[in-house]
Amino acid sequence: MTCDLETRGGQQSIDIRRRGSEWELTLDGRILSVDVTAIAGRLSLLMGQPQGGPYDPKVEAAFRRPLRSYEVAVERRSNGERIVYVNGLAVPVSIVDPREQLTRRRTAVAAEAGPRSIVSPMPGRIVKVLVREGETVAALQGLVVVEAMKMENELRAPRAGQVTSVKVVEGMSVESGVVLIVME
Amino acid sequence: MILRKILIANRGEIAVRVIRACRDMGLASVAVFSECDRAARHVRMADEAVAIGPNPPADSYLRIDRLIDAARASGADAVHPGYGFLSEHEDFAGACHDAGLTFIGPTADAIALMGSKTAARRAAIAAGVPVVPGTEEPLGAEVSDAAIVDRARDIGFPVMVKAVAGGGGKGMRVVASAGNLPSAIRAARSEAGAAFGDSSIYLERCLEHPRHIEVQLLADHHGQVLACVERECSIQRRHQKVIEETPSPVVSSELRARLTTAAAAVAASVGYVNAGTVEFLLDEQGRFYFLEMNTRIQVEHPVTEVVTGVDLVQWQIRIARGERLTVPAEQLLTPRGHAIECRVYAEDPDAGFLPSPGLITSLRTPSGPGIRDDGWAETGTEVPVFYDPLISKLIAWGADRRQAIARMRRALMEYEVRGIRTSLPFFHWMLRQPAFESAEFHTEFLDELLQRRGGRGFSDIDPSLEEVAAIAACIADMDEQRSGRSDRTGSASSATTGGRVLLDRSDRAAAATWKQRARVEGLRG
Repeated sequence: MTCDLETRGGQQSIDIRRRGSEWELTLDGRILSVDVTAIAGRLSLLMGQPQGGPYDPKVEAAFRRPLRSYEVAVERRSNGERIVYVNGLAVPVSIVDPREQLTRRRTAVAAEAGPRSIVSPMPGRIVKVLVREGETVAALQGLVVVEAMKMENELRAPRAGQVTSVKVVEGMSVESGVVLIVME
Repeated sequence: MILRKILIANRGEIAVRVIRACRDMGLASVAVFSECDRAARHVRMADEAVAIGPNPPADSYLRIDRLIDAARASGADAVHPGYGFLSEHEDFAGACHDAGLTFIGPTADAIALMGSKTAARRAAIAAGVPVVPGTEEPLGAEVSDAAIVDRARDIGFPVMVKAVAGGGGKGMRVVASAGNLPSAIRAARSEAGAAFGDSSIYLERCLEHPRHIEVQLLADHHGQVLACVERECSIQRRHQKVIEETPSPVVSSELRARLTTAAAAVAASVGYVNAGTVEFLLDEQGRFYFLEMNTRIQVEHPVTEVVTGVDLVQWQIRIARGERLTVPAEQLLTPRGHAIECRVYAEDPDAGFLPSPGLITSLRTPSGPGIRDDGWAETGTEVPVFYDPLISKLIAWGADRRQAIARMRRALMEYEVRGIRTSLPFFHWMLRQPAFESAEFHTEFLDELLQRRGGRGFSDIDPSLEEVAAIAACIADMDEQRSGRSDRTGSASSATTGGRVLLDRSDRAAAATWKQRARVEGLRG
């Protein structure tokens, strides 16, 4: 079975199959064998070169086999999005379903060009609206200042464009996820 | 004076810290809590707990009347204010005094004096300590922008606009030219008014690449003021300290002697009692200037505790009950090794450090040699939106700075917070910056660095680690599919955890059962 994944570093394809109690993976033409054990919500991975025969901890060769050890936790988000916690870092990984890939590309293109909503990232209060409807804004230009958790946070334009709608006024309280400004 | 029971008028990390000190000293502790903090760590740790109102701070943790009532009802004889909230509010110290409660901190008069940044500057000048050139009187709301622009021209641009009642970087702006001053005045006044109820501001000349150096003091009721080895807090983001360390990598023992003497002189000149901190700016020529005095225990106090071997919170309590300082002055001035603190916030460093409140689904804190984690959050903690997003302070100690950095890096690798974003990825990155290792930084260093990065995230991960993550995601996904949960659009809450048929060690022997399950799933479909 082949698994297509995307990390910040790029896309990769991992061919995965079980070989006895181990997982055998092929990526970039390399073959890796991974012994996986679940422990209290985490996975212990021992990774190394395949030894030919199936991994068996009772076999003498297993005692001399150096394996890279990683402890990971895989957290599920929606739509194949995963957060993998490893070495104290959170690594985002997307699992690409071939059927979904086409739609994903289409929506990605649409998102670049179409209207873009600036939503409130958290509950807070609108301290200042910095733009007016119809105004042309540059990428990263400040749009609105939201006060939350005792700090003022400026929300900026994700790209250059025109403000088509301002949905809030100064002093207003907003919930998380509320559309504040629409631009295109 | 005998103190038996202490009410902690605070929440979060510092409430937990004070409760621990109480327990170490055999004293009873009383927690207070707002609605959302009902099950918070400090409530469960304390001996007693009193509800004080709804979630907004103004309705609970800032309600002097309810806090005094809570102290009376619980029979507490003293109040520890922690930091933030009412800790530097002279009315609260006064109300405690009037209610016959011992306020664990300085007198209301000292808080009021140092709370006015302009009055504090005058006190420093009177004590013979240099201050940064600036306005000596507060600029209230009635002072026009034009008049302020004139004053700024006299002082010389760039200037700092600061809140008279300020603290914690709130209401503070750097202004490069006269044209930008009115908008900075507006922002500073609005932030200061909201945070401190006083929109008065003042101006200070902006020094070129200064370092923030501060001196922790302990002063008893018998006239003794002791200074501790300095802390270096130059790694700041928007005037908020992010990393603190002690001793400063650039302060010689000769400079230390002058800094600590100056700090003690400021405190002595106002009859200061209890723990406090005098903050200085150190310029590139090695000249220092009084900045302000904080009349409370500070967030970064643990680094000083670690290198001096004193428990500052315990000393706050001991001073409050009238004890004499018995620590040798030399012990406080001679650092044993080096300590660094990282403030771990519920903030997303990859999204401009936006607050990231929410449920912590899993938390694992580091430990081992030289590591101290002062926190309050646990697995299952909901970080509320109402309060400061600090979740823990990670402190690393080493025999020297190099070892402290190495231990901090190791501890960061052990630190895992799931469910919410934290500033941890930023610290992974920061602790590897060559300029951090060589200690070549100043108070604008981090903001300049962030500006140059232009919003780029900090989660740039080593390709080999990304590969491990990809492999893990792949295996977990495959296992999910085999165990019959192939719905890739499943809810966000259904985390992939242990106990999966094929991954669980105990179930290995029954590996063949997946075929059976697959058949069942097939029939169902």
